[in-house]
Amino acid sequence: MPATVLPDLLAALVLAVLAMTLVGGARRFTLWRRGRPSPVPWLAGLAAMPRRYLVDLHHVVARDKAFAHTHVATAGGFVAAALLMLVVVLVPMPAGLRLGLTGLMLAASAVMLAGARLVARRRRSPPARLSRGPWMRLPKSLTVFSASLAGVALVSLLSSLLPPGWLGGILGWALAGVLLVGLALGLAEMLLGMTWGGPMKHAFAGALHLAWHRRAERFSTRTSEREGRTPRSTGLKALDLDDPEVPLGVACPEDFTWNQRLGFDACVQCGRCEAVCPAFAAGQPLNPKKLIQDMVRGMTGASADSYHGSPYPGRPLTQDKGQDKGQQKGQPGGPIVVEAGGALLDADTLWSCTTCRACVEECPMMIEHVDAIVDLRRHLTLERGKTPGKGAAVLDNLIATDNPGGFAPGSRMHWAADLELPLMRDYGQVDVLLWLGDGAFDMRNQRTLRALVKILRAAAVDFAVLGNEERDSGDVARRLGDEATFQRLARANVATLSHYRFQTIVTCDPHSFHVLGNEYGAFGGDYRVRHHSSFIQELIAGGRLALESRQRGRVTYHDPCYLGRYNGEYEAPRQVLAALGIELDEMQRSGFRSRCCGGGGGAPITDVPGERRIPDMRMADVAETGAELVAVGCPQCTAMLEGVVDATAQVRDIAELVAEALIEPPAGKRQARKTQAQDRTVAEGVAKGGVARGADPAVDRGVGHDVEELSQ
Amino acid sequence: MAFDAIFEPITIGSQTIRNRVVSTAHAEVHATDGGMTTERYVRYYEEKAKGGCGLCICGGSSVVSIDSPQAWWSSVNLSTDRIIPHFQNLAEAVHRHGGKIMIQITHMGRRSRWDGHDWPTLVSPSGIREPVHRSTCKTIEEEEIWRIVGDFAQAARRAKEGGLDGVELSAVHQHLIDQFWSPRVNKREDAWGGTFEGRMRFGLEVLKAVRAEVGDDFVVGMRICGDEFHPDGLTHDDMKAIAAYYDATGKVDFFGVVGSGCDTHNSLANVIPNMSYPPEPFLHLAAGIKEVVSVPVIHAQNIKDPTQANRILEGGYVDLVGMTRAHIADPHLIAKIKMGQVDQIRQCVGANYCIDRQYQGLDVLCIQNAATSREYMGLPHVISQSEGPRRRAVVVGGGPGGMEAARVLAERGHEVTLFEAEDGLGGQITLAARAPSRDQIAGITRWYQLELARLKVDLRLGTRADVPTIDDLRPDLVVLATGGRPFLDQYADWGFDPDPEKSLVVSTWDILSGKVTPGKNVLVFDSICEFSGVSAADFLADKGARVEIVTDDIKPGAAVGGTTFPTYYRSLYEKEVIMTSDLMLHEVYREGTSLVAVLENEYSGVQEERVVDQIVVENGVRPDERLYLEMKEASLNRGQVDLEALYAARPQPCLAELDAGDRSAGDRGAGFVLFRLGDGVAPRNVHAAIYDALRLCKDV
Repeated sequence: MPATVLPDLLAALVLAVLAMTLVGGARRFTLWRRGRPSPVPWLAGLAAMPRRYLVDLHHVVARDKAFAHTHVATAGGFVAAALLMLVVVLVPMPAGLRLGLTGLMLAASAVMLAGARLVARRRRSPPARLSRGPWMRLPKSLTVFSASLAGVALVSLLSSLLPPGWLGGILGWALAGVLLVGLALGLAEMLLGMTWGGPMKHAFAGALHLAWHRRAERFSTRTSEREGRTPRSTGLKALDLDDPEVPLGVACPEDFTWNQRLGFDACVQCGRCEAVCPAFAAGQPLNPKKLIQDMVRGMTGASADSYHGSPYPGRPLTQDKGQDKGQQKGQPGGPIVVEAGGALLDADTLWSCTTCRACVEECPMMIEHVDAIVDLRRHLTLERGKTPGKGAAVLDNLIATDNPGGFAPGSRMHWAADLELPLMRDYGQVDVLLWLGDGAFDMRNQRTLRALVKILRAAAVDFAVLGNEERDSGDVARRLGDEATFQRLARANVATLSHYRFQTIVTCDPHSFHVLGNEYGAFGGDYRVRHHSSFIQELIAGGRLALESRQRGRVTYHDPCYLGRYNGEYEAPRQVLAALGIELDEMQRSGFRSRCCGGGGGAPITDVPGERRIPDMRMADVAETGAELVAVGCPQCTAMLEGVVDATAQVRDIAELVAEALIEPPAGKRQARKTQAQDRTVAEGVAKGGVARGADPAVDRGVGHDVEELSQ
Repeated sequence: MAFDAIFEPITIGSQTIRNRVVSTAHAEVHATDGGMTTERYVRYYEEKAKGGCGLCICGGSSVVSIDSPQAWWSSVNLSTDRIIPHFQNLAEAVHRHGGKIMIQITHMGRRSRWDGHDWPTLVSPSGIREPVHRSTCKTIEEEEIWRIVGDFAQAARRAKEGGLDGVELSAVHQHLIDQFWSPRVNKREDAWGGTFEGRMRFGLEVLKAVRAEVGDDFVVGMRICGDEFHPDGLTHDDMKAIAAYYDATGKVDFFGVVGSGCDTHNSLANVIPNMSYPPEPFLHLAAGIKEVVSVPVIHAQNIKDPTQANRILEGGYVDLVGMTRAHIADPHLIAKIKMGQVDQIRQCVGANYCIDRQYQGLDVLCIQNAATSREYMGLPHVISQSEGPRRRAVVVGGGPGGMEAARVLAERGHEVTLFEAEDGLGGQITLAARAPSRDQIAGITRWYQLELARLKVDLRLGTRADVPTIDDLRPDLVVLATGGRPFLDQYADWGFDPDPEKSLVVSTWDILSGKVTPGKNVLVFDSICEFSGVSAADFLADKGARVEIVTDDIKPGAAVGGTTFPTYYRSLYEKEVIMTSDLMLHEVYREGTSLVAVLENEYSGVQEERVVDQIVVENGVRPDERLYLEMKEASLNRGQVDLEALYAARPQPCLAELDAGDRSAGDRGAGFVLFRLGDGVAPRNVHAAIYDALRLCKDV
């Protein structure tokens, strides 16, 4: 008897849950849509979603093999089982087919059950990064649902094989009751929870987030796969400063675009972001996971108690739950950042971020933390003028002098007074435009620049510099939220560059590299930009540099965030080092998992105190490899790592190492220098870039080498 | 960025200089070979350019004419076309590193010597004798004037053809041009003297001829004095008028300004201010000249420190700073600023060893940096890490020789332990620094202290090393720089006794260190006549003692160099110290509570007595050889040094025995090599100790 009633009860239950789920979904959707508009291709996005899930998202999840298997079993089992359940329960069909499908449903729920057990094991002593609270019941819910569904399937199967009435009496009713209740509980978690705000919300919001993501270009497509490209979208989106409707950054949760809000809701609280965040590790008050959850609270108005993960370091959750409870309560229309009265978080949280993208890189839900942080900073800087630390001074400098250090604009080329660098102004057209970046004002980076010039000359590269026409790329301004100054600098640089013809921009500064390559497009500047490591690698591959190959003790390489995670360049620097005969002792956190030096995003300028310094931690990573030398490819990284007291390793830019290894042509060639240098036509034939000092690499042997010697 | 002002390039005439720091013209005294610049010369300037110096003006007092003899100070000879290819080497070496190089050219007129070489008749506007060189001269004739004007032009042409970036006409230090300027030397009534224009005429004709020869795109500067500091000499206002006069011709690309004339011993000391002077004592004179001219002004004189240089430049007093001795002490000064290694700059202490050697016709060397001007021999300014095995080295003695040995060995990558019996490093430098106005000599120690700390040398201060302690460390190399003790027991009649209660005489060491309280009425007997005697006398007088300093030499402080004895004399005379020469300390005896010094005249044999309450004797240093003699037999090389290798700065052959030992003896240790240096061998000076330490240790 129960066996026969069961299907009807089941159908009723499923229909009811489905209906409530849809109501919840609609409510959730309207909640997201309270954000600012952001046009998306609705259907195409949905169509692209499965691929984004299976390829892009899985690519991230698969970095943790064990959990990937767990998730495939659990989620795959669930999706299959749930779909089969809907079909079997709701769609009339011949008994044979139903039986077959029921068998499949049994199999799917068994797989899910296995997954659920793995989830349970993971939750037995979960790592600190995982949130507790409702998440702790998830393994149970998964188990209950899958076991109940398996039970239902089993009962159905047995009912068709055994004589009717096999499951009768009290026992039968009890079993049916248990299964139904179990299934009801399971469905409540698995379906209602999706749209009404349980842990499973991540599946619903996550799927739609994939479909309507604000950076569709970050996902792989068939075309990208065919071309062997890893798609990437890391440039910040420009703020429309002319549209009075567009707020200058984000003050309250409604100022985010609706699909950013959708993205926050996708958070699965796995804490992978927290685990890799350098600011979190340094004990600065930033935890990307909590930040995202605070954004969710801001949307929903939930209380601080609803969060069960790690706090912002130094700001214990008890504070949320104690006297500040009221303050920390989110309000849908209320401010995000504490000024006076209630809000979601302190400004320090936002200013701790180095924009290193480690969180974004690790996030299996493809959430864009950095975009959100910069949006919030834009409001603080542009509307409230509250850039902390030295931030305001740096922005003032940029406004007054076009460089963050406030140096006299005419002094940008002082470091190169003796190099007689060819100027674009005099040449108009060259192969390579050497972009100096603001390291031109920094004595440390000047050594890198000199080394780079030496390399370009040794390879007879036709290059020139903008000289005093160059302005700061605007990287720091933008990351400090001063979009107006960034855009002014960007437009000015684009205008300058438009006067000249060149094939490639080469720079030793990954920040300039990123901004020129990925963020100037919105202002009409589309350039082929190369980081010097890539360019040097091309020169080496082309046989244009003669290098002495030898190991120099133990060496490791630090991937700059703006080169690696932002631009995917992990190989070229390693190939260059290999060409020098250097075998690397890699740090545990290298490549896409490289730990930030602490220098990005204006973090050294806002200088939010923590318990440790990020560069100290990074140099400890270096020390762990036993390296005596850490090769870098970024002025900022060099400055941060060299600032570490009692470091065990020397910090050298790749350009310095290459310049040092250049093999000079025989001394006899030097004699030819004078005539060559003075004879423009000869020199132009060889390498216009090298004209002033001749195309002979020997000429600058000492330059750069001078100081290298001293650093021994 | 700190030091912005230093690193702002500047254009002088046709040349862009990469920063504001100049190595100004000084006589190197090593352009040997008939005044042709040598490999040594080229490498000396190349090192500065390599170290980042913006502009080198080489060849102080390089001569344009054959009657301005070059041989006395081995100066560069521009009176012949033979110099041109030599200049090409020089220019190429400096340009290769982005530096610029110019040369000072001059005719020295009467300021030279006539008694040698071609036995020239020196010339001067009015034939008046020059006291510093005791040189007499003839009154120059018009024909000679025009010849010399032509010589200047030809010399400038040679500099230009040699690829140099410019010339500096010397009109300072009482050379021929400023001999014409100065009414105390120029008494002529013709067109070359008398009026202001007349006195200016020779310089103007030189300038016109030079400019006509080299054209506008070659730099021509003038080095002038800011004030001669003679009652009858050119005053600051005179010099402003002169500078403005030449500036108005538009033919001068820069002015270099030196405070003070220098044709007496006393004024000479101003020109290269030693450690007794305040920083940049004559900057105001250069700034005064800058007020009236339209081209860049360079000023040197006691600018030794990057912060000081930056401050001067930021203040706009002058456009470029000369840091000449600063570069002799550390040619990589600029590079170290750029490397953020300001603490590693070996700073000039103003000991004036360099310039005092020059005035004796000896090659310019640095008291503390033995690599300077020996670049051509392969003595390195940057010690590279050894590629051989890491050695254990023990250095005994923390004086200059020991500190240098420890530094060099540590830079080579060896494990270095340094023993010093006193509580601090420095050895005799610490004593020397106690005298009035001599404190800056301790800068030598200060640098070593910083370097030894940076290099993590194991310093065992207050520890007297003995053989068991050294053996315990199982060293591969032992360097003994144990110094010595004051040699007061040479003559029994002096009444020295190791027991201070009984001794009739005390050492300058005990006086300077404060171990012995200064007396009220003190006789200082100084048979050495270097710094220690006059320092002790000055110290005693400073503490209120009535002091007579007596020597059997020709005068007290006779061996103190020409730019330093004047500042001692100023101080001693001011404190009414009596200076007596030609008397030998014959005997000392006690009479009641007083001491009687019996002094005997070196030449007459007549004895005289002084009744005093304290007798201080400076009789040099007796080497402390005990440890050496104890260790000598056990060492691989029996303490011997291969002189040919040493003088050629090649690796000591005995070091190879260590390598051989490594192979045969396993980890038991293969014995040790023993070197000794400094006053522990024979009393010499700071430079000798440091030089030996560098050349012995650089290849270990």
